Amino acid sequence: MSVRFGLRQLTALMSIVFGLAAHGQGMAKGPGELAWAIRYDPTTFDPAKVDEQVSEELRFLTGGVLIRLNRRTQQPEPELAANWKVSPDGRTISFHLREGLRFSDGSALTSRDVAWSLRRVLDPATAAPVADELLAPREVKVEAPDALTVKMLLPRRVIGIENVFDEIAIEPAERPSEGKVTSGPFTVADYKRGQYVSLRRNPNYWRHDAAGVKLPYLTGIRLDVLNNREKEVSLFQRGEYDLIDSLPPDYFGLLQKKNPSAALDLGASLNTEEMWFNQAPNAPLPDYERAWFQNKAFRIAVSQAVHRADLARIAYGGHATPAYGSVSPANRAWHNDSLRVPHEDVAAAAQLLAKAGFRRNGSSLVDAGGHAVKFSIVTNAGNAARMKIATLIQQDLAAIGMQVTVVTLDFPALIDRLMHKQDYEACLLGLTNVEPDPNTQMNMWLSSSPNHQWNPSEKTPATPWEAQIDKLMQEQATTPLQRDRKLAFDQVQQIVADQQPFIYLVHPNTLYALSPKLAGVQPSVFRSGLIWNIVNVRRQGQK
Amino acid sequence: MIVAACVIVMLPGASYYAQDREAIMSGANSHHWAGTDALGRDRGVRVAAAILLGLGGAAVAAAITTAIAAGVGALAAFSAPAVASILMLASDLFLSLPWLFLLMMVRSFLPLTTSPLHSAVVTFTILAALGWPACARAVYRGTLHLRSSEWMIQGRASGLRNTQLVRRHMLPHLLPLLIPQFLICVPAFIVAEANLGTLGLGIAEPLPSWGAMLLELDNSASLATSHWIYLPVVVLVLVLLLLESLTVEV
Repeated sequence: MSVRFGLRQLTALMSIVFGLAAHGQGMAKGPGELAWAIRYDPTTFDPAKVDEQVSEELRFLTGGVLIRLNRRTQQPEPELAANWKVSPDGRTISFHLREGLRFSDGSALTSRDVAWSLRRVLDPATAAPVADELLAPREVKVEAPDALTVKMLLPRRVIGIENVFDEIAIEPAERPSEGKVTSGPFTVADYKRGQYVSLRRNPNYWRHDAAGVKLPYLTGIRLDVLNNREKEVSLFQRGEYDLIDSLPPDYFGLLQKKNPSAALDLGASLNTEEMWFNQAPNAPLPDYERAWFQNKAFRIAVSQAVHRADLARIAYGGHATPAYGSVSPANRAWHNDSLRVPHEDVAAAAQLLAKAGFRRNGSSLVDAGGHAVKFSIVTNAGNAARMKIATLIQQDLAAIGMQVTVVTLDFPALIDRLMHKQDYEACLLGLTNVEPDPNTQMNMWLSSSPNHQWNPSEKTPATPWEAQIDKLMQEQATTPLQRDRKLAFDQVQQIVADQQPFIYLVHPNTLYALSPKLAGVQPSVFRSGLIWNIVNVRRQGQK
Repeated sequence: MIVAACVIVMLPGASYYAQDREAIMSGANSHHWAGTDALGRDRGVRVAAAILLGLGGAAVAAAITTAIAAGVGALAAFSAPAVASILMLASDLFLSLPWLFLLMMVRSFLPLTTSPLHSAVVTFTILAALGWPACARAVYRGTLHLRSSEWMIQGRASGLRNTQLVRRHMLPHLLPLLIPQFLICVPAFIVAEANLGTLGLGIAEPLPSWGAMLLELDNSASLATSHWIYLPVVVLVLVLLLLESLTVEV
């Protein structure tokens, strides 16, 4: 087969190639302007419909909210609301707005706009994902008794209700503008699909610094749509980009070598990398295999045989923290500090397997029925660190006689196997935790949930310990006292550590790249960790 | 080169999969003369094993392809024109298949527990099964030409059957055509396997494949660590160059 290009086709092709290369990136930046990359086009500019990370970031930069969660302290702080009050029964929350608030177009912001924005989020027709966090959005009532007061009446208490308002942007009543008219620090000035989103400073934003200078300091932000890490890093090094909000570990050393202050490692993130065995009763696996995977001793032995420190050091270049439980130590509010976990010990793993009826036949392990212990670990193609983890585990498990094959699949094929066909043996994937609160993990721990990965959508809990997790998760979701919630969730962590349905491997560290020319950034391990206080960020030397 | 590769792989202590976890991405040293990869595996041994695996697999695949091509080509030339056109249509159809897409599909249909060695066998078998049509057309043309040559007409006139004709007269005359076809296929298959490997398909870890080793070069951060990272590329180019020049010689 030969493909021949005429000169004309060739020039056409070249112009396409260079046309792509020339867009957006490297455009001149004003002195008060920042630029960084977003990995894909936002699916929506409507702050009520945000359902993925990029549009969430845009809402963060443009939307004015009643309460902002301080990403450093994890405490709610007043934003458009000067103060708020939750009634003792937890069913009424009333906000008192700041005086003289204005939208970016100069019109006044009153309780009418706030009530309208809240009702819009609650309206089923909007299908706002955040509405679910209010538990029964249809029964929630919103009132605006005067120009500066707004009340929300809930059918029942919602734990951590303040956090919900961090995600609801206040828009002008009856005039939703997809970010063009906002009450937050920036407005959307321009958007070219596949190229960039350009934000301009909101001249009417309410905050001032201590010296009375209007915030934000920055005049604008340009977000380039760019899904190429290699290019992103090189543009950062050339000074075109001011930050990278999730730096791949391979590039950390490279940036650090050139400029030690540009690369930040904040330690363990909230995220986990874990592997699990398929325990679903309807999985198309031989019975003896399912019996291994449902055997607690088998899972613990695997967990004990994996050298997590090696995974962190080799697959992440040291920029990961070995993980033994479901909650990252970075999540100080919820981490169970007295968790008892299976220790790493290959000899103990071999003993445990022997006690459970497995025996060695030469270099390979066989079960009581004489079946050699062989299984595959599936993971998604294209994640270098995960591929390395899988290959390291392959060797670690060979030491106890298990023969592991590593299979990489493209994401749709992988999800199809995991969620629909349950046709896999073991899986290696990561979990991104956005919020520290265990309520956001309900869908993972409840045995009836389709996201209960090791055995999804159980009609009744398959094991007593899964029933116990169900009970404790419900308990922590309904108990008002923080101390009781923590007690319940501590027990969940202990059951998971005892049973190892998920074998936790590492917490990847939070890695950022940050231009040393910026001042005022307060990096945090929580989402939007580099830009959460964007209004206080300025370029050095900028007036 | 093959001998050198064999020696390197056979050396006591050489292992293409053993992970030296204390020496990740190291440069050349007394334990690993060409350094180690990102998992601490000896790069020299892996490259040597990849030479053997790639060359061996590609040679077997090329032999299968050439055999299929010879069979189809000769069959087409000796049968009725209708059969010949059907066979040629089939090979056209094969040529126009989106083979990369097909390969990806086949790989995802394989059972998950397919061992690394099986995955290598399957990869090269698929390459062989997809590689024959171009070659078959050349053989068909060549055979047609031979069939109408004078000595063949004489052979048929003296009462030889088709099978005898093919065995005694055709094959020896076709060899000058088949051998270059075989030699062309070998480097083509090596490159095809490398391409598949860079997509994460083809030969599975921990077996070394060109594609997976070339993938290391995809990352500017690792390029900065050691010059030995270029070894797989250099050796691959060298192998291909040698194979191509062999084709020219013949």
